[in-house]
Amino acid sequence: PGHRRASGELGAAAAPRYEVVVIGGGHAGTEAAAAAARGGARTLLLTHRIGTIGEMSCNPSFGGIGKGHLLREVDALDGLCGRVCDRSGVHYKVLNRCKGPAVWGLRAQIDRGLYKENMQKEILSTPLLTVREASVEDLLLTEPEPGRPGKCQVTGVVLGDGSTVCAGSVILTTGTFLRGMIHIGLETHPAGRLGDQPAIGLALTLEKLGFAMGRLKTGTPPRLAKDTIDFSGLEERAADIPPVPFSFLSEAVWIKPEDQLSCYLTRTSLKAQEIIRDNLHLNNHVRETTRGPRYCPSLESKVLRFPDREHQVWLEPEGLESNVIYPQGMSMTLPPELQEQVIKTVPGLEKAKMLQPGYGVQYDFLDPRQLTASLESRLVQHLFLAGQINGTTGYEEAAAQGVIAGINACLRVQGKPPFTVSRTEGYVGVLIDDLTTLGTSEPYRMFTSRVEFRMSLRPDNADARLTLRGFEEAGCVSQQRYEQAVKMRAALDEGIATLKSLQFSISKWSQLLPGVPISSSRRSPASAFDILQYRDVNLEILAKAVPEPLGKLAQWRELAERLKIEAAYEWCVVSQQQEMAEVRHDEALELPDDLDYFAIDASLSAEVREKLDAHRPQTIGAVSRIPGITPAAIVNLLRFVKTNHRKTEKLKAVPQTGECFPGKMYSGKATSQRQISAEFSEEEKKFVKTSS
Amino acid sequence: MALSGIVRAARGRWARPLSCAVPPVGTGDRGHRGHTGVRVYTGHTGDRGHTGVRGHTGHTGDRGHTGVRGHTGGPGHTGVRAVPGVPGAPGVRGHTGAPVDTGHTGVPSAPGVPGHTGAPGVPGHTDVPGVPSAPGAPGDTIFALSSAPGRCGVAVIRASGPGSQGALRSLAGPPGLPPPRLLALRSIRDPRTAETLDRGLVVWFPGPHSFTGEDCAELHVHGGPAVISGVLGALGRLPGLRPAEPGEFSLRAFRRGKLDLTAAEGLRDLIGAETEAQRRQALRQLRGELGALYGTWSRALTQALAHIEALIDFSEDDGLGEAVLPRALGAVRALEREIRAHLRDGRRGERLRAGVRAVIAGPPNAGKSSLLNLLCRRPAAIVSPVAGTTRDVLEVPLDIGGFPLLLSDTAGLRDPRDPLEREGVTRARDRLCQADLVLAVLDVTSVSPTPGSLGAALAALQPPPDTPCVLVLNKADLLGGQGVSPSATCAQGHPVTLLSCKTGQGLEALLELLGQQLAQLCGNPLLGSPSLTQTRHSRHLEACATALSRFGDIIGDTGDISGDLAVAAEQLRVARRELGRITGSVGADDILDVIFRDFCVGK
Repeated sequence: PGHRRASGELGAAAAPRYEVVVIGGGHAGTEAAAAAARGGARTLLLTHRIGTIGEMSCNPSFGGIGKGHLLREVDALDGLCGRVCDRSGVHYKVLNRCKGPAVWGLRAQIDRGLYKENMQKEILSTPLLTVREASVEDLLLTEPEPGRPGKCQVTGVVLGDGSTVCAGSVILTTGTFLRGMIHIGLETHPAGRLGDQPAIGLALTLEKLGFAMGRLKTGTPPRLAKDTIDFSGLEERAADIPPVPFSFLSEAVWIKPEDQLSCYLTRTSLKAQEIIRDNLHLNNHVRETTRGPRYCPSLESKVLRFPDREHQVWLEPEGLESNVIYPQGMSMTLPPELQEQVIKTVPGLEKAKMLQPGYGVQYDFLDPRQLTASLESRLVQHLFLAGQINGTTGYEEAAAQGVIAGINACLRVQGKPPFTVSRTEGYVGVLIDDLTTLGTSEPYRMFTSRVEFRMSLRPDNADARLTLRGFEEAGCVSQQRYEQAVKMRAALDEGIATLKSLQFSISKWSQLLPGVPISSSRRSPASAFDILQYRDVNLEILAKAVPEPLGKLAQWRELAERLKIEAAYEWCVVSQQQEMAEVRHDEALELPDDLDYFAIDASLSAEVREKLDAHRPQTIGAVSRIPGITPAAIVNLLRFVKTNHRKTEKLKAVPQTGECFPGKMYSGKATSQRQISAEFSEEEKKFVKTSS
Repeated sequence: MALSGIVRAARGRWARPLSCAVPPVGTGDRGHRGHTGVRVYTGHTGDRGHTGVRGHTGHTGDRGHTGVRGHTGGPGHTGVRAVPGVPGAPGVRGHTGAPVDTGHTGVPSAPGVPGHTGAPGVPGHTDVPGVPSAPGAPGDTIFALSSAPGRCGVAVIRASGPGSQGALRSLAGPPGLPPPRLLALRSIRDPRTAETLDRGLVVWFPGPHSFTGEDCAELHVHGGPAVISGVLGALGRLPGLRPAEPGEFSLRAFRRGKLDLTAAEGLRDLIGAETEAQRRQALRQLRGELGALYGTWSRALTQALAHIEALIDFSEDDGLGEAVLPRALGAVRALEREIRAHLRDGRRGERLRAGVRAVIAGPPNAGKSSLLNLLCRRPAAIVSPVAGTTRDVLEVPLDIGGFPLLLSDTAGLRDPRDPLEREGVTRARDRLCQADLVLAVLDVTSVSPTPGSLGAALAALQPPPDTPCVLVLNKADLLGGQGVSPSATCAQGHPVTLLSCKTGQGLEALLELLGQQLAQLCGNPLLGSPSLTQTRHSRHLEACATALSRFGDIIGDTGDISGDLAVAAEQLRVARRELGRITGSVGADDILDVIFRDFCVGK
């Protein structure tokens, strides 16, 4: 109420129609809607309240180890969250600074209020994107397109007021709202986040459609009043100066380096353990068997699993002006009065006032193995899912899926091939492949240890990995960003060539760089690129020694830093290339979506058939990652790849089959369908015209 | 005496006359037997562009659509992509033609990268790009025994890949490559030592007219384990060649479209069955002591890796403790030592190639030289009733039950006054120390046949510890028929046998005993293809140990993080992957399981 509709006047008579409809305005939903709109689709974002768009529902921070990588990749695809963070952060810190640039974790404390404000500004000003407040009760479904897996296809949504909206693609990003249940002590009440309504009608529809669901739990700590905390005895952690921005587009972040806020470290005592242990009977959430994240444990589970020790608690600011402190590490579901008791046992928090108790959330998620790598459902065509509904946790994981779902929902309507990211190309590729191939039994979080090609998939080069592809194949990247990435890439190529061509003998290098212990055992001559690999060497030092031609490389600071990283990792990257090629090849060998593993004529054991059916791998690469699949099974499946390949070859020989024009199949159905059909036919004509 | 066929005194080395020059018909069909598995290696590594890689199945390769995009951007609703602040953007997409790459530019430099940490003494990772076992390189050439494993008349060893031609030239040249697809009789030599391994038939199949579609070479050699392991070993030392993973030949053929569907229909059960058989066989081999050992290593390495991964992924947590890195380093160093020791000890493949070193030892005048002469069926050694006749070490190559044996006769072990004989005893002791197998010869009349005194007599010879011994009680003819039952008698667990070098009595029993000992020492070639398996295993273990040592170099002795921890962790991942090729791989979830089991991390 009180919010203006961002754009788009809706016709009164017929049901309004959008190419992409996004349900949910969280981190996945906003990225999905913006990506679809950037790709050229007329997009509608449906949310309960426009005021909650951009809400950071849990921790007041973005990024971290692994998550920072995802963030950079979202940014490389022109996603929003990196840019918005650079306008809202209050404490920037690169984690793992001493452990090598491949695993640096860009992280920042974010001002909740500013983030929300900036995100809403961004969303409400995105061209082609309309935002509407409404609840979604049901999906409009119709016959499936032939030749693709799926028992039906979605053509729109039914809103809470009974009206309908037609859609080419629908993206579901409802987070924990599917039968969300909040737990505090012995009390439970249905909700998503505190104060919001759970989505029940939609959950029933999804269940009826036969989606396999699971249940997960997560929690959030209580919030404390800053002015009641005694920080004097606590360890302070100051922010980085200068702060490292998240976005490739940001030269600097909005806040002055010296204005950044600090975080403080304190620890729980054994007294807290005692309170928790004595009151387990009052703690439903902890006792239940639903899987929670092992890496984001509640204080209760930490105390139970690793007893008799202190557990660290980070006190994090929620904003510049905010009086709220977020005690990271103190997720609890005890009754509120007991939470207060636990808080008061912690040094510095003896007099702290609890503003809001911690609570647990249990919610439904849909088994992500029912999705393709483009995040489209295999059960319902044109339905895409992203975010926590797929069993993940974390803003960055949600945002990354959002971008991919948004891009693909848009490409799907446009009849173009999907845009997928390989495990060899990005953390987002690993995330989606893990989810869609292996599924998950706990809220899935990104870790660098999940990534095979960690040496190559670094925060510094996310643009080189994804921006060009995003522009050329997905159309989701702005011209400005594209040009910047192309420029950087050319500069890197040129810089590396320059460095490699500059060769001196080892003794000459030792003479030029007296402070650097250059190994005399290595081959001579050595190039400047070789020398740059030494830990104590950077471009500045090299440029001082050899101003011509290196001086100009050292002047562009970002380029100089990236060249140093490229040099340091070159040998690792080169030795990984063989394996990357192997994985890519396996990923290129696609398995038919609708393969009936129980029916195919191949010597596969019943156990293997069951596993294949449960995981529904999309490529041979995915098959090889399913635990317990024998080499023999893979050899046999290769045959199907081959057969499939031949079939598609044949299909390709007949130009422009009906696959791209789904509307054509449904002329003569319901009015709205006819409308869609008409629009698609129009599009079809254009296609035929331009491609002939 | 039924010696022929069991014992053959070798002329030259243990080469036998080439009697069965005609290879079995249809070896080509058998070629894909025994190589099964999953890994996919093709020549696509050079193609880093996305389109090229994904295009295989035709699903995504249809790039025609992308180009259309700009044209649809008329007044309609689809194509107009509104990019704030960039007018005129629509229509450009899909036509730029800018190279798509993943961003790692530049041509990889030749091996010889400087030490990453730059610290003196760090061995500079020079071996990184050349780590042999990483599969899938474009220039990757594989080889394997492709005939049925075990002893046979003719064994076929096949190589596939761009290095096949070079391999054929190195092993079977001159005079150069034979004409394509024609058998040629050649001496097959180890290019390193120029030693002739065998004479056999070679064939050269230039791609694409070969089984795999790549350049292929075949060597048809005599089917003895020594020859096979010698040739496999020589191939393995050539740059760019590595043992094939199970099934790799078939997969290469499959990938190159060489097994078309009809052929595949007929073959698939065979391939499947072979793959299963191989897997079971590998499992069987891994179930024993060796498997337990590999399993221990695998767990130790997984734990070390998991702890290093925890240091990276949970660096903000206090649940890790300061000792994690030094502890992991200690574990890695210990593991590296163990693997290296195993590689030195597990010389079975090498024994097959070079022969088991058996040393005849014993007190003077026990009949050691007579035993040698008896075994090689010629008076190779001077024998006399005078103690101390033998002064130097005499070495004779033998083939016993198909196993190569290098038999040495040594001077009698006593404390002589004669300086010449003293030198002989010193040499005898030296030789005894290097023995793989000791034939301890005693005069049966000089010892009482109780286990205790036999044991004492054996101990007096001071055989090297942990070396198998066979106790030969010679001069059985002097017992006059009233003898001990030698099979029931053991000396400290070593078998004992009665023999008369004079009459030949007891020779069969000795030969049988020797055959058993040799089978133990060389691995049983009738169980699968030990030489191949072992070459493959030692190859992966070697690479694993190398990666572990690089980890140590990067972390440094101090145990703090002096280098890039991500790079260090990468070495453990490489090591894990190499070991995983033997023991089965470990996924990210297994690593996370260890992390969450061992540490209180997360917040």
